Amino acid sequence: MSNSFTRTSGTSVNDTSILDTPILHAEGLTKRVASGERQLTILSELDLTVLPGESVAILGRSGVGKSTLLGLLAGLDTPTAGELSLFGQALSELDEDGRAMLRAGRVGFVFQNFQLLPSLSALENVLLPLELSPRAGEEGTAKDWLNRVGLGERVTHLPKQLSGGEQQRVAIARAFVANPELVFADEPTGNLDPHTGATVIELLFSLNQQERTTLILVTHDHALAGRCDRCLRLEEGRLVEFDPSEVTA
Amino acid sequence: MKAPTLRLAARGLKRDLRAPDVRALFIALVLAVAASTMIAFFLDRLDRGLERQAGQMLGGDLVLEQSEPFSPELRQALIDAGLVLSDQVDLVSMISREDRFQSVSLKVVDDVYPHYGVSHVDLGEGVEEVASGPAAGEAWIDPRLRELVDLKLGDQVQIGQTELRVSGIIEREADQSGGFSSFNPRVMMNIADLEATGLVQPGSRVEFEILAAGPPEAVNRLDDRLAQLRREGVEVRDVRQDRPQLGNALERAESYLGIAGLAAVLLAGVAVAMATRRYVERHLDTAALLRCFGATQRQLVHIFTLQLAGLALAASLLGALLGVLGQALLLRLLSAFLPMSLPAPGIMPLWLGMLTALAVLVGFAGPTLLRLKRVSALKVLRRELDPLPPSAWLVVSVACGVFGGLLWLYSGSITLALGLLLGGIMVLSVLWGVGAALLALLLRGIQALPKGGEWTQALRLGGRQLARRRQAGLGQLLAFSITFFAMAMIVLVRGDLLTTWEAQLPADTPNYFAINIQPGEREGFDAAIADSVEAQSSLYPMVRGRITAINGQPPREAVPEEARGDNALRRELNLTWQAEVPEGNRVVAGEWFDGWQADATASETAYSQGGSGWTAAVDAESQPPPVPVSMEDGLAQRLGLALGDQLTFSIGSDEVRTKITSLRDLNWDSFRPNFYVIFPPGVLERYGHSYITAFHLPKEEQGILPELVSEFPGVSLLNVDAILGQVRDVLTQVTRAVELVLGLVLLAGISVLYAALTASRPVRAHESGLLRVFGAGNRMISRIQGAEFALLGLASGLLAAVLAELATAVLYMFLLDLPPRLHIELWLVLPLGAALLIGVIGHALSYSLRRQAPAASLGLLGEA
Repeated sequence: MSNSFTRTSGTSVNDTSILDTPILHAEGLTKRVASGERQLTILSELDLTVLPGESVAILGRSGVGKSTLLGLLAGLDTPTAGELSLFGQALSELDEDGRAMLRAGRVGFVFQNFQLLPSLSALENVLLPLELSPRAGEEGTAKDWLNRVGLGERVTHLPKQLSGGEQQRVAIARAFVANPELVFADEPTGNLDPHTGATVIELLFSLNQQERTTLILVTHDHALAGRCDRCLRLEEGRLVEFDPSEVTA
Repeated sequence: MKAPTLRLAARGLKRDLRAPDVRALFIALVLAVAASTMIAFFLDRLDRGLERQAGQMLGGDLVLEQSEPFSPELRQALIDAGLVLSDQVDLVSMISREDRFQSVSLKVVDDVYPHYGVSHVDLGEGVEEVASGPAAGEAWIDPRLRELVDLKLGDQVQIGQTELRVSGIIEREADQSGGFSSFNPRVMMNIADLEATGLVQPGSRVEFEILAAGPPEAVNRLDDRLAQLRREGVEVRDVRQDRPQLGNALERAESYLGIAGLAAVLLAGVAVAMATRRYVERHLDTAALLRCFGATQRQLVHIFTLQLAGLALAASLLGALLGVLGQALLLRLLSAFLPMSLPAPGIMPLWLGMLTALAVLVGFAGPTLLRLKRVSALKVLRRELDPLPPSAWLVVSVACGVFGGLLWLYSGSITLALGLLLGGIMVLSVLWGVGAALLALLLRGIQALPKGGEWTQALRLGGRQLARRRQAGLGQLLAFSITFFAMAMIVLVRGDLLTTWEAQLPADTPNYFAINIQPGEREGFDAAIADSVEAQSSLYPMVRGRITAINGQPPREAVPEEARGDNALRRELNLTWQAEVPEGNRVVAGEWFDGWQADATASETAYSQGGSGWTAAVDAESQPPPVPVSMEDGLAQRLGLALGDQLTFSIGSDEVRTKITSLRDLNWDSFRPNFYVIFPPGVLERYGHSYITAFHLPKEEQGILPELVSEFPGVSLLNVDAILGQVRDVLTQVTRAVELVLGLVLLAGISVLYAALTASRPVRAHESGLLRVFGAGNRMISRIQGAEFALLGLASGLLAAVLAELATAVLYMFLLDLPPRLHIELWLVLPLGAALLIGVIGHALSYSLRRQAPAASLGLLGEA
């Protein structure tokens, strides 16, 4: 397939023993939405394979469908056509609840607008994914994670008492607290100033490395993309691999 | 259910307690439970109290009466059923002291007497409460006998062939059996002395009574036997049917309390529905995030259901506690009337309260809550992806269904519940249309206001804001109008109930009855009291007569089985003649005797048939038509009689044939002379008759009484102050109870306002933020918000006035038995009051929003 991009070699991935089993595999993924009278194709027969431990950046202009793709990959939405499997499980075989259960405890999220619940303290926000997993109630774990993101002193603070960067650090702690295999990050620095953004990215990547998590990052920031193992650009509904150093150079 | 779900729900609830919508939800549920349990507890106990009181008035839970002694077999059957028996014999006899004679009503009691309550008797050391009758050898007497035959404590009095010592003066008997039907002064004696009097002889007019006391189940067990006894002509009085005469006012109060309770529940339901909308909107993001983190729909439903169930449970407990306290307060208010030894409140009303909370939650919040389940996880990426709100029809239908169920549960009548429910749904659909039209009209009017002044501008801007959110505004308009409607209705009905009660017993209600006024004394008596009394009923002539045939058949064969023991057939009735319909009477069927003339030639003889055959002047052919009479509607119904039925009365030694030509409705609680049967003038005059009247004699004028008694020794004066006072007490206390419940309904109404304003807070915050950005000052924003709320209030008040007027009319006619009337004050007070109330409360609740920096206000919208 001319438009496909399939990883075949194991460059920069530390653990080679599980390389052959992709954590995420998409084939012919298509998403069309109704726009008035006509159908609008956002994603067109897109292929993607992500192996465990990889970090993958997806770039693209505003409105090109990055968030739609992320929603599909995370099983938050269903494709119009094509096959997608997550952790070796075909998502088309699952209903919405089945997809939710598949995510529980295995997938973490970091959003552009943080998505912290305003009525919950920092600690309670971090606890939320833990409460859904059987290992729940580990308040200590949640506190450890807040310590690791440098907010150990702010556990009782409500989101509105925290700055944007601090809120995103809480969100990162929340993404990693359940020890997920895969973390999706949607424009994690989109709402932050460059300096704060850099701090947050530093934190995200270092935790990703320490935890050996697979990371799928959606961004329009080439520098940020350059820190990932692979960079893909979303263009006209398809993914194209590129080398960010060439673009930024 | 998995532990994480429970834990999540518990944590969520704990956090949520800070949120205003959850607080509104909680308060509304507490009020619903408090109102329903309080009223259920209270009515439950009141019911038992009334039964006890009925028992006390009747002298037992079951009273049997006939003119011969009861068989030992029947007595054993009653005892076997679990009843305690007391024997009583009633007869009219003469007593004498030295050379003075007086006809008295003898009440012969045994040692068990009285089953309930105490008599108030002066035994020589002032009036005291005595829980027994006179001992053997003794007699207690009516105070009137002091004047009539000069009897004092310690005197001997001759009764039949024996002499008894007067040991007590009766102020009030423990039971009120007998009532007004016996106008002779009372003498009470012990049954042990009865035989010695020699008064009970074959053929003498004696009533034998068994007063039986016991639990309701015992009386229930005897139902078949009682029916049989009634067929045999035994008079059966039973607490389950023979409620005290006060029942009328109390029944209305009970209906009122029931309606008020339901109104509170309905209002709380509306508050719950509004608070739930905000709750759900606030939790959509939580639900989406939880979906994102892997929660299933089932888990979401469990989490939110558990949270709300926890809230409902806590609200039930608090509400039930308030309900118990409230009913205790109600009982305290009614303490003088209710017997003190009421059984403790049962557990049943508690369950009812919890059921109410759950039902209100499911019915008014359920469909809206389901929206949380349908949240897509994708909402975390695309904020606009909110699930559609449930259709208004679904919300209304489910709420109506549940409320109808509650109506059924509380009223016990499925027809009433269905009727109210269908009516409610119809009214709601009409209201939706009328409300929309009203709002549009109002807004158009506002926009047409001349430009200029700050207030006009604020009104125009406020109106425009309302117009922008027309659907939400319409929802609030309906909620507010239902609230004001319910509040207005409860206030109106209370006012009319009280007015009716007051009108029923005005300050000059007669407190004395004068009976046995001879025709020759009539004018003299009138003149003697004229200067002292404040109000006097007409003087009614009174002739005693007994029904001897109904449509040519013996009375007992002509009436339905259950009426065979009726008093009206067993005793002489007091008959009167009147040319006009007496005051307080209303002809409900047939025609009054206008224009009827006694046949002059025949009047002396023709209507009567002598005891020894037809009088000489009359033969069978010239027999005149029967005399038209007017009968009290209740008696006619009891005896199964209708217009055109013929009754033969035995009056003196004659038989008088009559035909029922009209039926009358009258108020037995009026403290005026009332008659079952009224003749036209020209028929009864020639029989021996006396006059009866009732009048109000103020306390300061009661000095004329001894003079009156000595000037008219034959006239009996009956003082009904004590009974009148008791009735007044009950009305006062019931009024207070009604006011307490009214307060609860008002609270429920305020909870609706609170919930509605809480729900619309974020949108208003956003609006005021925007206005601020565009340069509106604090004063302007404050005025715009005030104007918007006031407009909303004005429209709801108008709509509520329409509703209240319609509903009270229906309620009066069908439930409370009052004549409907127009409430003009409503049309003024309700719209203006509502505009003021909503304007002020809404304005005050928005205070903190106006203090916020625009950035914060704008940020508020869209956050969870």
